[in-house]
Amino acid sequence: MELAFLMDGWAHRFGERYRAALFAFLPILLLFSLIIFFPPDGRERAQWIQFIGRFHPLAVHLPIALMLLVPVLELAGRWEKFAYLRLSSRFVLGLATIAASFAAFLGWCLARSGSYSGALVTQHMWGGVSLAVICWLGWSLRGRLVGPHAEKLYATTLTVGVLVVCWTGYRGGQVSQGEDHLTEYMPSPLRRVLGLSSAVPLVEAAPGSFYEVRVQPILAEHCASCHGTKRQKNNLRLDSYGWLMRGGKHGAVIKPGNLEGSDLFRRITLSPDSDDFMPKEKRQALSLDQRKTIELWISAGASGTLPLNAIKDLPAGVVAVAPIEVSFPQIDSATVAKARTEIASALRQLQDRFPNILNYESRGSADLVLNASLLGGKFGDTDLEALAPVAEHIVVADFSRTAVTDRAAPAIARMKHLRVLRLAETKITDRTLRSVSSLDQLRSLNVYGTGVTAAAFPFLEKLAKLEHFYAGRTSIQLGASVPQSLMGKLVL
Amino acid sequence: MANSELQLAIVQAETRRHFLRSLGSGIGTLFFGTSLAKYVAAANARGAEGSNLSFARDAATPLSLLPPQFPAKVRRVIYLHMAGAPSQLELFDYKPELKRLDGQDCPASFLAGKRFAFISGVPKLLGSQYPFKQAGKSGQWISDRLPYIAEHADEICFIKSMRTDQFNHAPAQLLVHTGNPRLGYPAFGSWVLYGLGTENQNLPGFIVLLSGGKSPDGGKQLWSSGFLPSVYQGVQCRSHGEPVLYLNNPPGVDRALRRTMLDTIDDIDRQTHTEFGNPETVTRIAQYEMAFRMQMDATDAMDIHKEPESVRARYGCKPVGSEFANNCLVARRLAERGVRFIQLYHWGWDSHGADAKEALNLGFNDRCREVDQPTGALLADLKERGLLEDTLLVWGGEFGRTPMRENRNGQEMKYVGRDHNPGAFTIWLAGGGVKPGITYGQTDEMGYEIVKDPVDIRDLHASMLYMLGFDYHKLTYSFQGLEQKLTSVKPARVIGEILA
Repeated sequence: MELAFLMDGWAHRFGERYRAALFAFLPILLLFSLIIFFPPDGRERAQWIQFIGRFHPLAVHLPIALMLLVPVLELAGRWEKFAYLRLSSRFVLGLATIAASFAAFLGWCLARSGSYSGALVTQHMWGGVSLAVICWLGWSLRGRLVGPHAEKLYATTLTVGVLVVCWTGYRGGQVSQGEDHLTEYMPSPLRRVLGLSSAVPLVEAAPGSFYEVRVQPILAEHCASCHGTKRQKNNLRLDSYGWLMRGGKHGAVIKPGNLEGSDLFRRITLSPDSDDFMPKEKRQALSLDQRKTIELWISAGASGTLPLNAIKDLPAGVVAVAPIEVSFPQIDSATVAKARTEIASALRQLQDRFPNILNYESRGSADLVLNASLLGGKFGDTDLEALAPVAEHIVVADFSRTAVTDRAAPAIARMKHLRVLRLAETKITDRTLRSVSSLDQLRSLNVYGTGVTAAAFPFLEKLAKLEHFYAGRTSIQLGASVPQSLMGKLVL
Repeated sequence: MANSELQLAIVQAETRRHFLRSLGSGIGTLFFGTSLAKYVAAANARGAEGSNLSFARDAATPLSLLPPQFPAKVRRVIYLHMAGAPSQLELFDYKPELKRLDGQDCPASFLAGKRFAFISGVPKLLGSQYPFKQAGKSGQWISDRLPYIAEHADEICFIKSMRTDQFNHAPAQLLVHTGNPRLGYPAFGSWVLYGLGTENQNLPGFIVLLSGGKSPDGGKQLWSSGFLPSVYQGVQCRSHGEPVLYLNNPPGVDRALRRTMLDTIDDIDRQTHTEFGNPETVTRIAQYEMAFRMQMDATDAMDIHKEPESVRARYGCKPVGSEFANNCLVARRLAERGVRFIQLYHWGWDSHGADAKEALNLGFNDRCREVDQPTGALLADLKERGLLEDTLLVWGGEFGRTPMRENRNGQEMKYVGRDHNPGAFTIWLAGGGVKPGITYGQTDEMGYEIVKDPVDIRDLHASMLYMLGFDYHKLTYSFQGLEQKLTSVKPARVIGEILA
């Protein structure tokens, strides 16, 4: 009660005229409290605040225009011809106060909705709020205070207002258009007059340079979706050497030879949960090898002409292997059944005679795999000859440790689609290999522990597809007698 | 007469409410009958196209040979499991940066949100206890503890980015060998046996050999057939003495008498089967028959003294204390004899540093010596004999170890050790189906987390099945209403990059 009474008395003493002005200060106070208690922190927020905030750039132009209009009205009104204009300046100031407060509120919404933080934004924000206060002050002074100082105070307020409008507008432009948005395309003579560094035309990297072969693919993979031709977040483009070296709205991102000063390197090597970490939004981070490549390149001077082989100790896995996806073969049962018909009955008889050692290579083929080695000495030349009806379908045959001899060689030679032939620890000799030399599909031949000698080499040279010749525990030795075409295939 | 009276009584007992109730469900039935029928028909049509492979066999020959789905690079697997999880940082994952930071406090970011078996407080970083050397033409980094394995660096495909979601031995081993950390799922070997059968009917198709003085923590569940018929389970054999206990005839019983006895038992079993139709009865008959055949062949296959002295010396077989070497030699003999899946476990790699036996600077050294020469000899022997081209050799543990030194109860321990790290470990493969002399995947500079190409256990399984000629979706068994498969229900990836 007491307080309310006092407030009431205070307001009366200032007079009714000021009550409206005081009341108009309330939204500005609200603005202050918003900024102080809910400062923009760069964190993403809900949709409403984002949606409203997006109208800030639209709304700011009204208070700018109004604030600049007032001095025009005041000055022009000094001519008698335009004296009536001075009457409207108070109304315009009132309008400017409302517009500035509203624009500042929208600005807070935009800043609060995320992706805006830092010194530039803070300066722009306080500029906007100050402008609202100045508008209000001007409006309160205009036509209310009388006395010798009132005019001077009012004129000063307007001057400061115009300066604050210019400064805030420039800062706002920097936030949205980049720090050098005014000077970027300034002609060189003017730059020289103003003492600015002269604009450098974009220099591109040399074809086949280290940058182009090693660095650019990394940037293209991880960065160019936000900093490239389509989007240029923070005015930074990383899709060519020239753009990379020009930097973004906060200046250069690469300082040649200076790792600590290179903002790009700092950001890609931060902890992934840091706010400044790049790439953002859970995109794939750069691998250790990729970071190392960029690190070595910056340390070496970040040149666009550095030759490809200038950096020696590159990490091994720098050139990424493309993932290889495997597809599973489909089986067409009708085709398979058809291919199998001609041997089906013969195979059934043989499978009864030799259970579990003879079967199809796969569910989708009519080729056969034979493992006679399990029968050992019980499997001899006559058994091998009994396989004749299916001989051409056998692609893998293992006769290791069986009683097979050179006499079976013609029967083996009839298996003309053989890819793998194993005769380890049998009684066969070079004579079998002579017959076998007609098996032009043979990839693997195993004569481990047999009587085969180096005299068999000429037969093997005819086998164009041969990849492995296993001849351990034979009389064959590594040495001059091994023909060039068998080197690397001979396994001892 | 009584029947029609009963019907009348039933009809009279029906009230209006019964009528309304059955009307409601009747309408529902009508709806499902029409709307679901087309889905059922579609599902049946898919089945008829052969999307599911048939693994049906004659009940009397459950292990008979079946062709793989598509031509296979690999026809048998030898899996050397280092039970207890060997430290990848002392063996294969070369981390010079970790060595440089040896003895410094572990960064907080390593510890946040992590669970450890024993580490507490802030542990110290621990560099490799042993120097590394580049080996072979491929220049792969391998610890100086493994000189024999290093000789074969150009044959080996390292996966340095294995990861698991289990950080205790038993469930992690179960995950590696059955695709599931819980009990009751079939082992990899059982799946392979179920899918391909076995060529040699006189030996089990899935044989397990243990060494290191202790069974792996996962126990016999690691080679159980789970929900598959029990005929597909792994058979644990001993590498000295009688390979399978109680296989030989007792004194006074000869082979003919044993045959007569078995015939009688089989008769009774067959009667039981016709009466109750339980497939396990058929399994029992098949196992008795196999045991009878095994009396001859198993003893021969397991007897390493049938090998020349030079071969035994190459593997490092000694009269006593070389169980792993003996098992490796047996593994080669079994591979020659057409055994489909040969599983070795060597215990003693759990290098926490709690005592000398499990210290990285002591016991670990002995483990390396125990396995290095035999593993190298096995690789060389398989290669010389031409067996490596269609055999897949796998070497690895169930998870990795931390780059931090273990500090049980927050105190520095007397011996050097590392805690469990499920986040990254190394497994290597060699033989048919894999690219030789390469490394797949990468860990960070500490060897703590994977930074490139993570491989889950199910991805490894899918890749191994691919080498054996199967699409992992298609090797299935109907159980509890689900087409069960080795890789379980999560999507797996065949690692095309490591396939030859």
